[in-house]
Amino acid sequence: MISFQQVGKTYPDGTVAVAATDLTADSGRITVLVGPSGSGKTTLLRMVNRMIDPTSGSILIDGVDVKSKPAPELRRGIGYVIQNAGLFPHRTVLANIMTVPRLLGWSKERAREKSMELLLTVGLEAEHAQRYPYQLSGGQQQRVGVARALVADPPVLLMDEPFSAVDPVVRKDLQTELLRLQSELEKTILFVTHDIDEAILLGDKVAVLNTGGVLEQFDSPSELLAKPKNEFVEGFLGVDRGVRRLSFFSSGAVPLRPEPVVAIDTPAQEVLARRSAQPWLLVVDTERKPVGWLLADHVPADGDLGKVAAGDLVSYGHTFTVEAESLRAALDSAVLSPSSRAVGVDAHGAVVGVASVEELVPAIRAAQDGSSPESSR
Amino acid sequence: MNVLSDAWGWLTTASNWHGSDGIPTRFLEHFEYSVEAVLIGALIAFPLGLLTGHTKRGGLVVTSLANIARALPTLGLVVLLVVVIGVKFRAVMIPLVALTVPPILLNTYEGVRNVDPRLTDAAQGMGLRPWQVLWRAEVPAAMPLILTGFQFAAVNAVANTAIAAYSSFGGLGRYIIDGLATTDYGMVAGGAILIVVAAILNLVFFAVLRRVLISPGLQSRERASA
Amino acid sequence: MNLFPHIPSYLGTYGSLIQQQLTMALSSVLFGLIVAVPLALLCVRYPRIYPPVVATLTVIYSLPSIALFVLLVPSTGLTQTTVIIPLAFYSLAALVPNIVDGVRGIPEDVRLAAVAMGYTGARRLVSVDLPLAVPPIMAGLRVATVGNISMVSVGTVIGVGAFGALFTAAAQLNRSDLAVTGIICIVALALICDLLLVITQRLLTPWNQRRSR
Repeated sequence: MISFQQVGKTYPDGTVAVAATDLTADSGRITVLVGPSGSGKTTLLRMVNRMIDPTSGSILIDGVDVKSKPAPELRRGIGYVIQNAGLFPHRTVLANIMTVPRLLGWSKERAREKSMELLLTVGLEAEHAQRYPYQLSGGQQQRVGVARALVADPPVLLMDEPFSAVDPVVRKDLQTELLRLQSELEKTILFVTHDIDEAILLGDKVAVLNTGGVLEQFDSPSELLAKPKNEFVEGFLGVDRGVRRLSFFSSGAVPLRPEPVVAIDTPAQEVLARRSAQPWLLVVDTERKPVGWLLADHVPADGDLGKVAAGDLVSYGHTFTVEAESLRAALDSAVLSPSSRAVGVDAHGAVVGVASVEELVPAIRAAQDGSSPESSR
Repeated sequence: MNVLSDAWGWLTTASNWHGSDGIPTRFLEHFEYSVEAVLIGALIAFPLGLLTGHTKRGGLVVTSLANIARALPTLGLVVLLVVVIGVKFRAVMIPLVALTVPPILLNTYEGVRNVDPRLTDAAQGMGLRPWQVLWRAEVPAAMPLILTGFQFAAVNAVANTAIAAYSSFGGLGRYIIDGLATTDYGMVAGGAILIVVAAILNLVFFAVLRRVLISPGLQSRERASA
Repeated sequence: MNLFPHIPSYLGTYGSLIQQQLTMALSSVLFGLIVAVPLALLCVRYPRIYPPVVATLTVIYSLPSIALFVLLVPSTGLTQTTVIIPLAFYSLAALVPNIVDGVRGIPEDVRLAAVAMGYTGARRLVSVDLPLAVPPIMAGLRVATVGNISMVSVGTVIGVGAFGALFTAAAQLNRSDLAVTGIICIVALALICDLLLVITQRLLTPWNQRRSR
């Protein structure tokens, strides 16, 4: 647990970088500091490993004041990841990862062994070990940066805009990877970003900071989206916070109807009966995997689905996995479908049922009214 | 033997300030050789530097040439040319020019080549013709480095004009050579001090030139480079 | 014309001349380097002293060797020391700005990472700052080495010029072959040393993606 107690930073010229701030980053959780530039988020982060000293207040890690140890010693026990990774260009990937263990006085063998292990943990290959940083892509370099920060198994990890400099596709990968790692390692992570989407995706709790280092709100992402405390937070969250908040609610509550679903081998009688009751039929194969939407008018007169012209089948867009995926995914599935209907599938991809936009509304309503989400990510 | 008093005695002897081997004459000779060496060097090297820098081609040739020139012993070249063609103006000027070309060429090339591509893109985008891009965008932006090249050329010229006196005529180096030949250490030291003065005046001149020629927008970024 | 004519015996042998030339040139580079590294690090540490240091070095660099040699003779005599001292100063002038630029040029994120991982001052200097400054330091060493090997020959004016003695002899005996030989030997020595430095740099910096020019 990292606790900031009345921590402030005022520069000699009078500039306030951080106003007296109280904040607690829970153990084993990701706490995100988010805000525009000049909001003191990086300053707060760097005060934890004493790269910057606060002018007031104190910072405790698990109850121990960070000032009670010499700074270098303190830093060796705290992982630190920054934008562009900051790898040492003159050292191989493996030597980079071995840095802190060697500083801590581990034997070469032990440092090497543990570093190789971490290299694989962060999703790189053994063959990357002897490369130099310039031979890696930006995303790979960042993975090495994470491995280097984690190798000595520090309980606390500081991450300063670590994924800001890579392209969106790679960023997405790295974010997913971080969540995966965190579910195994359960570090106390303090994560700085200016990207609110990243904050909401990664944070167990998010601290929104304003210019001049003022903490405006400190809440869980869902709470933040539901009840922004003031205009600044609301503005920072952006216009579609209502829709985004749906990602914190399970799609389990969506009422899925199986009636519009017809298998390719459904008897003709049955097909004809369904046609009269439904404007759209979802055709599935014998394993109940979706094939496409069919307008009721295009169902062959004899009810034989084998005769449907390929051109009459309309793409079903994308499906959502019931329970595992969020209400937001369900809504998205409906909005993107030409039939305005969401297709819910089970873990194996077999269709459970469909729901129209209108049928989703009560579930959405319930989520917005409910004070807390039924399930977390 | 006290260097300074000997030199002072020689420098303050009135007769040393008159005539064809007097200090003003030698000083002017030194100045003249140096300036000519830089100007001839510039005539050759500056256009070549602009061309190679603008086209970003020939870098290897330029840098190798500069390296070889740094290795050339002036004294040897002067002696060789004097032995081969006799005591002529060319015998001094060829080695001197050989040493003023490389710094101008190298720095002009590096300066123009390393101009921020966004700047040249913008200049092209505004419809400037290639030579206008060169003259209005690349050269002003490269001016700090170009001037450094000229400064090194001038430093070389002043220093090597002194050395060239070893085997030919004129310039302040004569006092050192003649003084050594006649074991007049006052003349040797006095000449050496005059050469030091000439070298410092040269630097002062370039410091002023920088103020005048480099756009104030670039002054803060200016850094000396060899 | 014989490229390597018999040289008058009073001048020594090719071997002894090579040895003299390299002794004077390389020891002056070495002395320059020994002083340049701490001086440059001071300039990095206290940026305020850098401009006056650079200005002083620029002035020193512009002082002609021939003048410095003869001005030193009363103090250090007609010895190799007299040649080595000014050349060491020239090396210093070539090296200090390169080292300063090199250390200052270390990317901010690398510097930050080093501090955040708990490097202390001296250890960081040895394991991070100096290794990263190797390419610019080597560039400075190349300039200083090549220049010094060539400039040693001016020492013949005070009687210690190694291959420069061939130029004196060429002028006195009116023998162009001696001058040509002297020039070739000096240029060859300089370029061989330069090549060795380039190879050394490649070996020292396998991590450097920009190939040295």
